[in-house]
Amino acid sequence: MWQLLFIVNFFFFTACSEHLVRVMPYEKEYLAQDKMKLSPIDARAEQEGHIFLIREASAGGESTFQGGCGCR
Amino acid sequence: MQIKYIISLFLSLLILELTSLASDLKDSVSFGIDTYTDNADVQVYSPTLSLFKKVSNQWMLGFKMRIDAITAASITNGSNANHVDAVTGASSNGKLFGDVRYAPTLLATYENGDNMLSFGAYYSQEVDYIGKAVFVNYVRQLNEQNTAIGIGISQSFDKWSPVFKRNLPKDNRNEGKIDLSINQLISPTSSFQMVYSHMLSEGFLSSPYHFVSQTTFARFENYPDRRVGDAFALKGVYMFNENNSMNLSYRYYLDNWGIHSHTINGEWLHDISKNMTTGLRLRYYSQTKSNFTKSVGAYNLNDKYFVVDYRMSAFDSYTVGVPFIYKMKHNSKVTLSLDYYQTSSNAYIKQWYGVDSLSALFSTCTYSFSY
Repeated sequence: MWQLLFIVNFFFFTACSEHLVRVMPYEKEYLAQDKMKLSPIDARAEQEGHIFLIREASAGGESTFQGGCGCR
Repeated sequence: MQIKYIISLFLSLLILELTSLASDLKDSVSFGIDTYTDNADVQVYSPTLSLFKKVSNQWMLGFKMRIDAITAASITNGSNANHVDAVTGASSNGKLFGDVRYAPTLLATYENGDNMLSFGAYYSQEVDYIGKAVFVNYVRQLNEQNTAIGIGISQSFDKWSPVFKRNLPKDNRNEGKIDLSINQLISPTSSFQMVYSHMLSEGFLSSPYHFVSQTTFARFENYPDRRVGDAFALKGVYMFNENNSMNLSYRYYLDNWGIHSHTINGEWLHDISKNMTTGLRLRYYSQTKSNFTKSVGAYNLNDKYFVVDYRMSAFDSYTVGVPFIYKMKHNSKVTLSLDYYQTSSNAYIKQWYGVDSLSALFSTCTYSFSY
């Protein structure tokens, strides 16, 4: 089911090109700022990813890698 | 079978257009210190270092090092709050730090504008645990770099070596993960991301130190040796005006152990000046218990699974934090963050740690520059 969902989304995003080109290169000034990142502080994202993995029973939803340790 | 299908899909997407588009890779160095302390008498001090060096117009090599110096209460007996914490898995042995974990990571990145491929290896060593993993990540830009599709695959091959002599049923813990992501720019001041993760863990998945102690018996903690989980996340960022923005994210997680969770995170960021940014972040987490967790004290000698770790029970948590970014000259910056974490009251926390709930304070302080 999730494979079908991903394939559908993939073709949606690649087949509707003209509708998805919403920002031209000269309009990306604001998007390059730290406050426009989903994780504005990389060090905090890495540290809390580790902490939440240890203190809670859930994982995933991040597109980054988290290494294992005996603390889990 | 599913892994083979995903790898095939990944390879089929790897139809790289070998154009000579300029890459955005930059040499950079960062170093800092992270700290963690909680009311379970655990303190962790973590110096970090990362180095990234371009070796050609499109290739970059990276090295990251993290050292976790951990203090924790020693194990005394099975019934009071002075247990080795789940964070550490180590005893103090009279030393300043109960354990020191070394975690280097090597990675390489190829980028040619529309395609980025990075891969690497991770190693972690502590007194009772060795972690080894490999990972690869591919991102393809589409629609004049308004859309980015990403696939990440990682596989770890970890091994337990308990500090006291105990023959574990298995001493390995292997975890595989696949992340699929789609980023889309909505406007010059907003974007959103969807992430799906699939995780498979096999091997010894409980702690070799935790044990259930009831009136008539005691048993080491025991979980199923296979866990399959899925996570779905939606994230977005929006700029209200030149000085203010907000990011929001929601994640839903479920697994075959019966655990479901919701995570909501929101952060407001404000430019104090051209060079300084601060804000406020709030996070709420809520999970259910696993399908093999019973009430504290309700286990029977004939039960197949035994739980003492509060993470297998139902609880909530709150995090509130303050970020700070200071941009300096010559492409350098200092970032600081301070966060407070608090769980809800929980009988398993009370049983093991002797406190009604867990609270923690964690911080980061990093200096970085690119050249």
